[in-house]
Amino acid sequence: MTALLPAAFEALVPFADRWVIDGSIARAARRGDADPADRAAFFTAAAPLLDAALAHLDRYPIDTLPQAEQRLMDMMLTLAHVSLTEEILGDQEPAHARQRQSMRITRSPAGA
Amino acid sequence: MHGERPGFQGMSDDSLAWLGTAPIPAAPYHDPAWFELEREAVFRRSWLQVGHICELPDSGSFIRREIEALNVSLLIVRGRDGEIRAFHNVCTHRGTQLVEEESGRRGTFSCPYHRWSFGTDGALLAAPDFERFFIDKADCALPRVALDICGGLIFVHLGTPDKGLRDDLGPYATMLDGFPAAQATTFSEYVYEIDANWKLTYDNFQENYHLRFIHPRSGAPAVGEDNPFGYPVKMGFHGPHRTQTIWTNPDPAPKPVQAQSFGRAARFAMADGTAGPHSRDYLALFPNFFILGSPAQPFSHTVWPIDARRSRGVIRLYWQGEDDCASRRYAREYAMASARDIHAEDRDVIEAGQRGLNSGALKHIHFQAQEALCRHLFNAVDERVQAWRAERTGTTPVARAEAIA
Repeated sequence: MTALLPAAFEALVPFADRWVIDGSIARAARRGDADPADRAAFFTAAAPLLDAALAHLDRYPIDTLPQAEQRLMDMMLTLAHVSLTEEILGDQEPAHARQRQSMRITRSPAGA
Repeated sequence: MHGERPGFQGMSDDSLAWLGTAPIPAAPYHDPAWFELEREAVFRRSWLQVGHICELPDSGSFIRREIEALNVSLLIVRGRDGEIRAFHNVCTHRGTQLVEEESGRRGTFSCPYHRWSFGTDGALLAAPDFERFFIDKADCALPRVALDICGGLIFVHLGTPDKGLRDDLGPYATMLDGFPAAQATTFSEYVYEIDANWKLTYDNFQENYHLRFIHPRSGAPAVGEDNPFGYPVKMGFHGPHRTQTIWTNPDPAPKPVQAQSFGRAARFAMADGTAGPHSRDYLALFPNFFILGSPAQPFSHTVWPIDARRSRGVIRLYWQGEDDCASRRYAREYAMASARDIHAEDRDVIEAGQRGLNSGALKHIHFQAQEALCRHLFNAVDERVQAWRAERTGTTPVARAEAIA
């Protein structure tokens, strides 16, 4: 049984089933659709680990990340989206989520 | 402490007065008859930005681009000889569109209807039972469209260009060469449709007067105590094109994740050498293209008219090199998501402006001195529309759009 996430990031395991997301479009959509309390809890848990997570992941070749590392990568990429709600928008999020739907992501280096 | 720092000094209103101060006719922002004139006077007579060379990495790489303002579908191909060419996406037999895919790679382009087959240089290579036609293959090449490249960006001209692209861009050609997009090998992209005139849409992105009202949180770094409306540090003009140097708050107080994310992007920019002298410069190339020189958010934005009251925006962030590590991948995702957040906030209010104008209640709209880039766009469009009308009717160009308003 391999670990869901790398050892130092076990605190994020309870969030993995909702916040490990493949693809920029799906990540942006989850940010808007998520339960606000769950989104805030994910941000509170993950944001302090961002630097450590990227430092850990930078030790691996990006295109052949082990499975646990790939999940952590996808989680941090989702955090990029979620942080904009939690850090910047605050109570503007519900109206903003509707407006964002009109901005359709079509390509990203990480895979749209 | 602000005491030691010189305060914001932008462009004086007087220095922009040469652009005029009169009210602007409202009709060009909603009237279908005016838009019909713009199709030929503006879009047939300008270099149009349609793509980037990184989309065509190999021999046979192609992209299809739709230019609704001119009812044109373009097929842009890198040939076996390495040259990038643009053609109308039409089989010369009976006009069938050759390519449906938005992009791809092919050695030949075969018409689905009767299998006429064209090379990457546009030549007709083969056609079944061709002996029964009354024409030579040499006369059946795909119709060519003028194409030129500057700063890695592909431009086409659907009419007869009176100037080459670099000549038309003047000093901005050299600036484009120094923008991060010139070295780009990949990009992020998002698109939007909007129920608004292309100029009304475009103008939103070349005035800062709205920032504090429409982007009170996402745009906080763009305004500040010294410059509450975030007006540009500088503006410049060359022919129908224009530029501004963007002001940023020297005390932006970023949030923790925001600071980490943009900090990473800035470190990559320094390491890659993309943090050039143009990192705060923004070019608005006539008629419908913007590009920013910032290495952290190197975005471009094209506003394509669909009709008088509908447009499509294409926003790209151009990146140099593939993602080579997790930090770079993360920084690019954050840059795209944060730029998209700001653009998302503009769309509703632009559409509200269009609905107001569509009522016909206003005969004029108004630009203040620091909305000079908007006034400059109107002046450039108006000049071209009046010149085109005069050519058509054999009369002298009329001074302003009121002539038909």
